Amino acid sequence: MKTRLILILSLCLLLAIGLALFIGATSLSFNHPAFLQVRLPRVLLSALVGLLLAISGVILQGVLRNPLADPYILGISAGGGVGAALSMVLGAQFVVFGISSIPLSAFFFSLTAVYVVYRLSQVAGRTSPETLILAGVALSAFCSAILALIIKISGNLEAVYFWLLGSLSSANWVNVITTLPYALAGIIIAYYFSKELNALLLGEEMAATLGVEIEKVQLVLIGTASLMTAAAVSVSGLIGFVGLIIPHWIRLMVGPNHRYLIPLSALSGMLLMVVADMLARVILAPLAMEIPVGVVMALFGAPFFLYLLRRRRLEGK
Amino acid sequence: MPVLEIENLVSGYSPHKPIVKDITFSVDDGEFVGIVGPNGSGKTTLLRSIVGLVAINSGSIKISEHKLEHLDKRELARRVAFVPQMMEPINGFTVRDLVMLGRTPYFERFSFDSNDDRDAVNWAIAELKIDNLIERQVTELSGGEFQRVAIARALAQEPRLLLLDEPISHLDIRYQVKLCKLLRQLRSHRSIIATFHDLNMAARFCSKLILLKNGELIAAGKPFDVVTPENIWRAYRIKVTIKKNSDKQRSKYVLLP
Repeated sequence: MKTRLILILSLCLLLAIGLALFIGATSLSFNHPAFLQVRLPRVLLSALVGLLLAISGVILQGVLRNPLADPYILGISAGGGVGAALSMVLGAQFVVFGISSIPLSAFFFSLTAVYVVYRLSQVAGRTSPETLILAGVALSAFCSAILALIIKISGNLEAVYFWLLGSLSSANWVNVITTLPYALAGIIIAYYFSKELNALLLGEEMAATLGVEIEKVQLVLIGTASLMTAAAVSVSGLIGFVGLIIPHWIRLMVGPNHRYLIPLSALSGMLLMVVADMLARVILAPLAMEIPVGVVMALFGAPFFLYLLRRRRLEGK
Repeated sequence: MPVLEIENLVSGYSPHKPIVKDITFSVDDGEFVGIVGPNGSGKTTLLRSIVGLVAINSGSIKISEHKLEHLDKRELARRVAFVPQMMEPINGFTVRDLVMLGRTPYFERFSFDSNDDRDAVNWAIAELKIDNLIERQVTELSGGEFQRVAIARALAQEPRLLLLDEPISHLDIRYQVKLCKLLRQLRSHRSIIATFHDLNMAARFCSKLILLKNGELIAAGKPFDVVTPENIWRAYRIKVTIKKNSDKQRSKYVLLP
């Protein structure tokens, strides 16, 4: 069942990539210069961003033991957006050991955002899922405002639009190549800790009695999720709900075992973003317009989030 | 060689307000020890101290002659397993999945379940007689069934020492007896410490009892020596009379009218 699902999803992903390569505002043939320079990197980048967001959702839900956790909802994306925008606007762009300063700055702010949200939502040493979400929403609104302010002052309205709504329209090969290592490292680290994440399903204390070094695991995994979010935000702005929808959908099909949840979420995250970005390019193509992919995701994702919230209430959890 | 040695243990959640106060006892191989005492006497805190969930203020806990603080978490988890009073069933897990979590202290990175893991899980499932449940979803089990699954998960850790916090409190009397009999059989492989509210059940099934009050040890020893009118008066402030069975090994209290 699980191996077959991996196979089916891989095939779907290949099919979607194939479709996305040839469907667009204009149909491009293989040898068209725009195919190699624009279309191909864009499709690849959408897949990478999907992987980054889906896996950071899996990690955050596992570590925070909160099924509603997601980098966008917790304000980690918006925090990262502030970091990336600051780095760009202040011209503090440099490259250390082949790593660009933009994702690093985004990472620092993402991490700060997680920390703030987590501390804000702690009441007497405990966090309830709903308080965590509320703190995330508030921080997200705050960071989005700062982000808009930064970019407005810098005088580029087009960029505000890009960052806040989330878009892959600026995709290029440099983006693909700088994003790839984060995606690879992220999924390897997540998989490395898959057994700890499974033990955490029993709660922090029970995981500790099973030999899991809770603080260390939490630190590394939250850092990883923040870095993955930051890498995604740096190239695509704020795209929500991928990290929420994907793990939920996979859990419904194969259960919460992270050994399957992680690879299957990675594949489905890529599939979802490739399709969503294709839709973003195509839907308003007759009007010669492109919808930001973040808008496509929010159109589907926000109702889904509300559905989850409501189901949790009905189940009385 | 004792599996567990506790000496002058003082522990609790804050250094200023210890819950367990100056407790000393040891547990030998194959013993089934019951911890009894009124509500708030520190039974659960004592149990949780042994598995490293509660800070030790002073005194020492030794597991097979290793000091608790010198064992790393994984080593400790291979020696001591803990079954809490309440455990959330994991949505989407089968019984086998849940029992397999007990193998966490043995896992290797990036590898699938080893033959050892499968053997240990099958053994734990057979010991708890839950073979018929293995493919069931844990969320669909009754309280009694889930309790046995939770214990099988702990057994899959292959611990020398199995700790259970009020294992029978939520079970009906038929399941209480069934589970206690099962636990008594298990101790041929390991030692067990469990907390109990029901003194008579504890006296009937345990090989040794520890009676606590306000975190202090009131009495320890064979059930016969611990369950006495004087000790029960000191711990619970109720008057009882004691009935002994024919071989005088077991005793039970009866409330005085």
